[in-house]
Amino acid sequence: MSEPNTALKKPVSVKKVILRLLLYFVVLDVCIITLYPYFAMLCTALKSRAEIFSPNGTVLPITALWSNFIDIWSRAPMARYMLNSVLIAGGSTIIAMLCGIPAAYALARMKFKGQTAFLGVIIVSQMFAPVVLLIGIYKVMLSMGLTDSILGLIFVNAAFNQAFTVWLLRGTFMGISAEMEQAATIDGCTRVQSMMRVLLPVAAPGIVTTLIFIFINAWNEYTVALCLISTDGYKPLTVGINTFNGYNIIEWQYLFAASIFAIIPVVILFMCIEKNLVSGLASGGVKG
Amino acid sequence: MSTATKSAPAGERLPAQKTSGSSGKKLFRKVEPYIWIAPSVILMAVFILVPILSVFQLATSDVSRAGKIKGFNGLENFSKVISNPSFALVLKNTIVWTIAVVVISTVLGFMLALVLNNKFRGRKVARAIVVFPWATTLVIQASAWNFIINTDYGTLNTLLMKLGLISAPVNWTPTPGTYFAWEIACGIFVTIPFVTFCVLSGLQSIDASYYEAATVDGAGYFQKLFSITLPLVKSSLTVATVLNIIYVFNSFPIIWTMTKGDPANLTDTLVTYLYKLAFYNGKQGEAAAVSVIGFIILLICASTYMIYTLRKGDEDL
Repeated sequence: MSEPNTALKKPVSVKKVILRLLLYFVVLDVCIITLYPYFAMLCTALKSRAEIFSPNGTVLPITALWSNFIDIWSRAPMARYMLNSVLIAGGSTIIAMLCGIPAAYALARMKFKGQTAFLGVIIVSQMFAPVVLLIGIYKVMLSMGLTDSILGLIFVNAAFNQAFTVWLLRGTFMGISAEMEQAATIDGCTRVQSMMRVLLPVAAPGIVTTLIFIFINAWNEYTVALCLISTDGYKPLTVGINTFNGYNIIEWQYLFAASIFAIIPVVILFMCIEKNLVSGLASGGVKG
Repeated sequence: MSTATKSAPAGERLPAQKTSGSSGKKLFRKVEPYIWIAPSVILMAVFILVPILSVFQLATSDVSRAGKIKGFNGLENFSKVISNPSFALVLKNTIVWTIAVVVISTVLGFMLALVLNNKFRGRKVARAIVVFPWATTLVIQASAWNFIINTDYGTLNTLLMKLGLISAPVNWTPTPGTYFAWEIACGIFVTIPFVTFCVLSGLQSIDASYYEAATVDGAGYFQKLFSITLPLVKSSLTVATVLNIIYVFNSFPIIWTMTKGDPANLTDTLVTYLYKLAFYNGKQGEAAAVSVIGFIILLICASTYMIYTLRKGDEDL
């Protein structure tokens, strides 16, 4: 209701209107291009195989074949892949947090020799994607008997997300005044108690952001899983969906139906943390 | 610098209160921080540091096809790798890939951030949509684009034909070079959101009064862009760019999904090349040598980044 009033008060210049229209035009274009692959995936996931390969194809499916979304669960062990992805992402998140919270706490609240060096190592380690070290990781896993196991993937993911975890949590902790914890210590709390009862509840938003981000990273991880896992029953979704991407025939409709299941939870989680993550990034963060 | 004393960690004051404590307690206070960081250090040591050492060992060893180390052979693996004519091609591809993706996505991402920083109806929705490519796993993104650009049944041809823009299906990937260009396009597509959100975070911290003052002084849009916006988002833009160089350099899934580096290494980058060497051709020693070369290139980038970040940290204090 307030819109027409303000419009009446201010004389609207032609230039402003054009700029506005241009802005909407650009935003709309960006949104369309961004969503196009997802739109194409959804349309394809709803088509039959014959329709996809038909020479006079249509953009939208002629009849939406929702059964594709049901078929994938029997065509491939999708439930198993999904469970593996949840286990890997969840496990990596738990380990990364269990190791990262104390380290971040020490960096934020204590002074010790080698602190700067440790921070430096953290930042540098953040730079090495597992791909470059893949052979080394494979060798280490082989010697520990962790190739082809979910546990192995959990550890690798947790380790490679450690830098981000520590860095972001340290920032969160440093942004919170230490006074409350000091008061708690004077009241007889130990350090661990004061951290658990005073600091962590206050730092919850930052912790949740970090948690979700690690979960997404581990959920989306592809390269290490591709290299380490050979048993079908241990594959996460990212590797597993390639069952539909065979050597001779690609079952596009199933591949994309399965992909949509892999994308949705992550996109929803990501939207929840986008705002917090961006402010964390400003202090030197990590990309997914 | 003045805020440093204000935000001094509690640990600094606590020991001071406990000066009368026993020597055992003092010792504990000294050791305590290391206990706190120990799990993190151990995790990274075992799963990052040991693999790094292992890569270096393999790179300087004679390794059998089965992966058994047969002894030290100095720089032989390196000379084998470098003398292979495909390595120069792969290195060139890696550089083209990294520079093209980083430069174009930085420019486009920056422009998109400027657009999204305006106030308009539906801004929240637009921002949520822009997040999509960042959140989606690269394998799926790459599969989707691979399907879209397919000549025979790809949806890009179908769409353009329905819109009447083309009359017959276009072969979008007639040569390996064009395929590589599509891979770069896909890389740009997934990298833009990261740049955009980094810049947006920088833009949002700029005080609006700067712009108001500039407007009063009669500054135009581009004057404001170059003398206010750019200098103030420089640090977020630098962080984003350096991180991007490293991530794009290491990017494996896009190329692996779309072409597997084929044909004849024409679309290979360092990481896909080393993956094939190690796990397809059984040349682990040479693959490790490629790893080390990549590692050194990254180390240069990483130390630049580290110096920058730590220096920035000092300024913040």
